Amino acid sequence: MSAPRPFNLIAELTYRCPLRCIYCSNPVAYDDVREGLDAAMWCRVFREAAALGVLHVGLTGGEPGLRPDLDEIVRGASEAQLYSHLVTAGVTLDRSDLEALRGAGLRSVQLSIQDTNAAASDRIAGTPSFDRKLAFAEDVHACDLPLSLNTPLHRHNLDRVGEIIELASNLRAHRIELANTQYHGWALRNRTALLPSREQLERAAREVAEARITFPDLEILFVLPDYYSDRPKPCMGGWAQKNIVISPNGRVLPCHAAAEIEGLEFWSVPERSLEECWGKAPGMNVFRGEAWMPEPCKSCPERVRDFGGCRCQAFELTGDAGATDPACELSPRHETILAARARAEAVPADDFVYRGPQ
Amino acid sequence: MTRSPDELEARLREVGENRYHHRHPFNLRMHEGTLSREEVQTWVRNRYYYQTRIPIKDSLIVSKAPDPSFRREWVERIHDHDGRRPGEGGLELWLALADAVGLSRGQVEDLSGVLPGVRSACDDYVEFVDSHDLLSSVAASLTEMFAGDIMKVRIAAFEKHYAWVTAEGLRYFRTRTVQAPKDAEQGLAFVLREATSEEDQERCVAALERKCEILWNLLDAVERGCTAPHLSPHAMWRDDPAEGTLLVLPERAVKINATGREILETCDGERSAVAIASSMRERHPDVAGIESDVHEYLSEMRTLGVLQRGA
Repeated sequence: MSAPRPFNLIAELTYRCPLRCIYCSNPVAYDDVREGLDAAMWCRVFREAAALGVLHVGLTGGEPGLRPDLDEIVRGASEAQLYSHLVTAGVTLDRSDLEALRGAGLRSVQLSIQDTNAAASDRIAGTPSFDRKLAFAEDVHACDLPLSLNTPLHRHNLDRVGEIIELASNLRAHRIELANTQYHGWALRNRTALLPSREQLERAAREVAEARITFPDLEILFVLPDYYSDRPKPCMGGWAQKNIVISPNGRVLPCHAAAEIEGLEFWSVPERSLEECWGKAPGMNVFRGEAWMPEPCKSCPERVRDFGGCRCQAFELTGDAGATDPACELSPRHETILAARARAEAVPADDFVYRGPQ
Repeated sequence: MTRSPDELEARLREVGENRYHHRHPFNLRMHEGTLSREEVQTWVRNRYYYQTRIPIKDSLIVSKAPDPSFRREWVERIHDHDGRRPGEGGLELWLALADAVGLSRGQVEDLSGVLPGVRSACDDYVEFVDSHDLLSSVAASLTEMFAGDIMKVRIAAFEKHYAWVTAEGLRYFRTRTVQAPKDAEQGLAFVLREATSEEDQERCVAALERKCEILWNLLDAVERGCTAPHLSPHAMWRDDPAEGTLLVLPERAVKINATGREILETCDGERSAVAIASSMRERHPDVAGIESDVHEYLSEMRTLGVLQRGA
């Protein structure tokens, strides 16, 4: 079986980050992951990715702005003809850094914003950062780069989703991703504090629908979280189908969280070619396609749309990465989702653990 | 709370004041005299489709009315538009306007230049009347109440700013300054007499609001047709061995076929959507409905961010 063509590469350049967001998708034990790839190695990876058919590269982390060799990395992406996209918290780079990155071939910027005011945003980020982010948005425009925003949604900001969209419009973003928090990594640890109520979600969905009319030129991405949709999400467009994630130590993964699944063997780019890591690593192939599916997935007509949901979530909630995603109401373990929802509704927690070294 | 007839009339006039298309930016520009010749032509060509729907809408209204005297009076509107014999009536006068602004009669009558958004706005009106009762349908027609005034403003504006349009072309507007108030009087009297419950009155207000929205949408579509699409500066062309030509953008890659490429390469921010569509028609005269396909394509590309949004 030949591996499918990947279209997108997510390059996690580092797990270091000045922010301490309580829903960070990095592994809880991120501090153990060494930064193993120098700029020359990343450039090699980009050339190999382009040869496999990759079109976009997202430069992310952690905070990619902490890499002193970021412009060299961007130049490598550009020389490989990849469309490079910087995913940043916006607190480490100034306008001249951005100009240099643009000169090196950077194509677009996504800025994370945690909320609509400094107090609320900084509380989630665990560090003063909001005002710097607003200034950074201006720097992005000054460099003629397209700006998109990313605001993870949860109990503490969902009631302000309309204002968040308004902020995106004021910051002249062409797109905002309102990603409902996915419960992996730090978000899973803080789940009871983050899970919204159904009422909040429904109100937010209405506000988003209104905002789409008010701001027709702003692209708004909003998807109901799988904890409330009773259907699993089509995670990553299918396991190892379209997206390659490479962690800071060069491990080639099908998603941000897959390294957390125990017992899967993934390969690394310093040792092997990207083509081998993508196409032949046992961990990549174990959930590729449909052969791994148990019932009720195997005979479910939805499997072509949701690809069996999220393997990491299945592992985290059931201990078995090959189980039906508990987010699905047809899963025999769906009660774990219902219980988490009920717990969050009954005793909304307000204390959380910030991301930090363990 | 049920309104008195005077109160209901005041409420309907308030809807017109706030929502009638006399406030639409395209009409404001028309009346200020800042439309280009191409923009005037685009408006005339597209608004013709609306004119063709009016007698159909009025026939539907006649078919809903049980009262012979109502029908006798209302059927006059159909005669006003279609004439009593060939070469007469409002549609014919509109074609004279088309001629006066430099369009050929054939290219207007065949409706080939009608923008998809204009078509759907006008079809929405016919559909509204088809699916609502007599009272709501008549209430929707009450934009006539505001038409007399806008026609006077329009005639003055054309005489002052668009002197290249001959007086013969303005006869439609002059005719409507007389017809519209007469029509409005009949419609308004009917609505004020029949809408006696609070619920009926609210329905009439909603119908008039919906009609204002339709007229607004029509001009939105005309305005969009007149703007010049511009390829996003962030789009990157790529020849892909497996997929063919792609445009890569921050969040997506869009597959572009040969015709698409031909269209997008003319999106230079100088030529209007209408001009692009008509040049595609000249280059591919054998493709039926190509102009409307071009507009649909441009609108899809705008949504995807291939073309700059907000332009």
